[in-house]
Amino acid sequence: MVLKRELYQALEDVVGPENISEAPVILGSYAQRGRPRFEAVTLPKTTEEVQAIVRLCNRFGVQFKASSSGWGAYGDAGGPGVVKLDLRRMNRILEINEKNMYVVVEPYVIYAQLQAELMKRGLNCNITGAGSNCSALPLAAHQGIGHLSVSGSYGERNQLALEWVTPEGEIVRAGSLGSIGQWWCGDGPGPSLRGIIRGNVMPLGGLGVYTKAAQKIYHWPGPATFPIEGVSPHYRPNQIPPGFMIHYISFPSPEKLSKAAQKVGEAEIGFILMGFNPGMISANIATNNNEDLAYIKQFTDSVQGPGFLIIMAGNSPRDTEYKEKALQQIIDEYGGEPLEAVEEPKNAGGFMWRFIRVTSSIREVARASGIFAGEVGGTDVFPLMHQYIMRSAPVKQRYIDEGKLLADGTDPFVQSVEHGHAGHAELLIRFNKQDPGSLKVAGEIAQFANKTAIEGHFGVPGHAWGDAAHDQYGPHTLNYHKWLRKIKKTFDPNAASESTNYITADN
Amino acid sequence: MALEDYRTDMEMCCRCSICKFVPLEKLTEKRHSYVCPSIARYNFHTYSGGGRTSMGLALLDEELEYDEKLLEVVYNCQMCGACDMSCKYAMDIEVLEPINEIRIKCVEGGHTVPALDGIISSLRNQATMVPGAKAKRGDWAAGLDVKDITKQQAGVIYHAGCRVCYDQDLRQVATNTIELLKKAGIDVGIAGENEICCGGRAYQMGYKEDFLNQAKKYMEIIRKSGAKTLVTGCADCYHAFKVPYDKFGLKGDLEVMHATEYLARLIEEGKLKPTKKVDIKVTYHDPCHLGRLGEPYIHWEGNPVPGHIRIFDPPKEFRRGTYGVYEPPRDVLKSIPGLKLVEMDRVKEYAWCCGAGGGVRESNPDFAKWTAGERISEAESTGADAIVTACSGCEQNFKETIDECGSSLKVYDVVELLARAI
Repeated sequence: MVLKRELYQALEDVVGPENISEAPVILGSYAQRGRPRFEAVTLPKTTEEVQAIVRLCNRFGVQFKASSSGWGAYGDAGGPGVVKLDLRRMNRILEINEKNMYVVVEPYVIYAQLQAELMKRGLNCNITGAGSNCSALPLAAHQGIGHLSVSGSYGERNQLALEWVTPEGEIVRAGSLGSIGQWWCGDGPGPSLRGIIRGNVMPLGGLGVYTKAAQKIYHWPGPATFPIEGVSPHYRPNQIPPGFMIHYISFPSPEKLSKAAQKVGEAEIGFILMGFNPGMISANIATNNNEDLAYIKQFTDSVQGPGFLIIMAGNSPRDTEYKEKALQQIIDEYGGEPLEAVEEPKNAGGFMWRFIRVTSSIREVARASGIFAGEVGGTDVFPLMHQYIMRSAPVKQRYIDEGKLLADGTDPFVQSVEHGHAGHAELLIRFNKQDPGSLKVAGEIAQFANKTAIEGHFGVPGHAWGDAAHDQYGPHTLNYHKWLRKIKKTFDPNAASESTNYITADN
Repeated sequence: MALEDYRTDMEMCCRCSICKFVPLEKLTEKRHSYVCPSIARYNFHTYSGGGRTSMGLALLDEELEYDEKLLEVVYNCQMCGACDMSCKYAMDIEVLEPINEIRIKCVEGGHTVPALDGIISSLRNQATMVPGAKAKRGDWAAGLDVKDITKQQAGVIYHAGCRVCYDQDLRQVATNTIELLKKAGIDVGIAGENEICCGGRAYQMGYKEDFLNQAKKYMEIIRKSGAKTLVTGCADCYHAFKVPYDKFGLKGDLEVMHATEYLARLIEEGKLKPTKKVDIKVTYHDPCHLGRLGEPYIHWEGNPVPGHIRIFDPPKEFRRGTYGVYEPPRDVLKSIPGLKLVEMDRVKEYAWCCGAGGGVRESNPDFAKWTAGERISEAESTGADAIVTACSGCEQNFKETIDECGSSLKVYDVVELLARAI
């Protein structure tokens, strides 16, 4: 369909002719290959412009969808008749409140930008595990869990007050912003809509537009600028800042790994704790795919079993000493062995910075073949999430043996959140997307994960979005899907906010 | 190679958007964190490296018409390669090559813009990329007493380049270079009136056949001269001789050096000794075609290895900007007594483009100046008195933009400052 001229003109009046297009060349780049195209793409600059676009879409009976940095297909149109809001021009860090330790951002601030500005002030933020190329809005990416979550929590819990343009175009200011115009609290004084707005994995564009949000930030014990030298892709620091330590520790069994990770949480010594398997460590250091394969073999041959990567950051010499001793005690107690290649002086600093800045997720998931898939656990008690994800490992091995997936190991990654307060786990697969057999396998693994989660009562994992998934899980989980539909219907009576990846109001 | 040959590269794009930013490991300031002028200026994803590869696939599959908007997107890109470099921090894919092939496909199909056609017309008729040039090409060397390589043999050919030959404000670089080379005892010659355009910018603009014609003519001049080394002070020309000439098998054994590389070598060997004090605080702008795009071409032929990871037989080494020319210009500057060099946030492989490249200065001067303005502002933030570069295109674009915006920043070529010190 083509937008009515009246609507197009009205949208153009809102954003200006330079910031709207319906040219095929523009629309094409906003759609993954073979997927529906938007009818027009707009580039709003302010909340008021977002509101005006949303209201126009409601008035003219078309749908809209907003996205920020836009990685993945969630930002795509689900069908015809959808107007895109590319939030790229909303890119300001509005406030860094050092005293109260929060920051307010617009949607197109990316984590690398935010972290760089925070570090200059002795502060740091959690970064979604997808990478620091992603939006720093705490509502932009699923649950917002990442490498730093052991010490820096995650999106849902870091989120404070926010500004939301509802699917009908009302501007809602939630938390303390709604009552006293301040950003420091997400739940009051003022309306707290955290559960409604976020759900389990965010509405992924299906419930209006988040235009500003505050989030908690954390102490950074390192230098204002990490001393990185070299030319791409061979970056590494000229020295490791005092108090920073990195290790990769493998364990004789998954059970011992799990217990050791929980002990690290109890001791509160982890700055980063990620149960990466050797394949992910390999992708992190490798500057190309050939190197990646060589490192996978080297690292896999060098570990005794599943392991975790830990970075510790001492706040003082005594703190550093405590953390070193505590980790050693945990290693001794659970039979851990270090992967020496990670600790070698020529490698350690580079590993450290890539994990802190979270720059290598693209290498880890996309470089092999441009696509990845797998199974994402929820965020719940650490051992439960570990147990859930471990059930899929044999399935992955079977498909590797059949030649349908890259042989990058079957240990899932598990991570500790808030020093073990919670845990999260994922099992990722990489494969040739041109191979129909492999694409089928990706679907089969997802289905196996769903079956496992339901039958094993593991809760709703992070890969559950869209009507089909919610309808599958809802009946086993307090019929939450019915409530989700009520939320959708109540806040979006015209079904204007395109909901392919959230839920639609229709049963 | 053709656009079709890069289909799998383009299909690998995962839309992560790192092509829009400086390498995230090196990002230290939000204000200077963008790396691609095109997406920074026009904002629609289409203008980014990832957006352009998406366009490339759509063109291959005949899903797009070559309409006005498409051509606007295609030609509003400086071909600076920043997207390519940032992407290849993480990925094993070509980005700039297919973007160039899109232009070649446009030109081959007759889908061009008048401004660039005008320049190419000048190239075809007068062997220069400067339309309407009135001065004689060799005038810049009047009184220099330098060999004419069309009549005499010389070990080194100095190539001045179209802009330098026809722009009075830029000639100083060429005359200074010749004087310095002669002072160091180098057997240098020029083609003078017979110098022709290298064709490099024609290639950047997508006019592949015109580039090849020009390159063949140029190599014939060099062959006849017997010279083994070509030195040029223009980064665009340097890149042309070093990379696409090699890519198309035309370069042969010719050693291609940028003037700053050659002069840095002479300083290191003690053949040039900067002794006079030049009291100035400067910041150095890495020209795209000398820096990240100035690394040697890597010949490779092979096939993908079937499987679930993109590797090739034989292994393919990607050009990632790692081995560009970054230090020699800085070494020359550091050798000058009294000169203080301060760095901008975006340097070397992730330097922000001056704005002039890829035909943008000719087809969209406003965009070229907007891009230069961003760089000038970044240079000013260092507290430098001057921005120094090693490319006549950058120098020209900076000077024109400064004239318009009223900045007090001075613009120099590295060679000019070295000449003052000797």
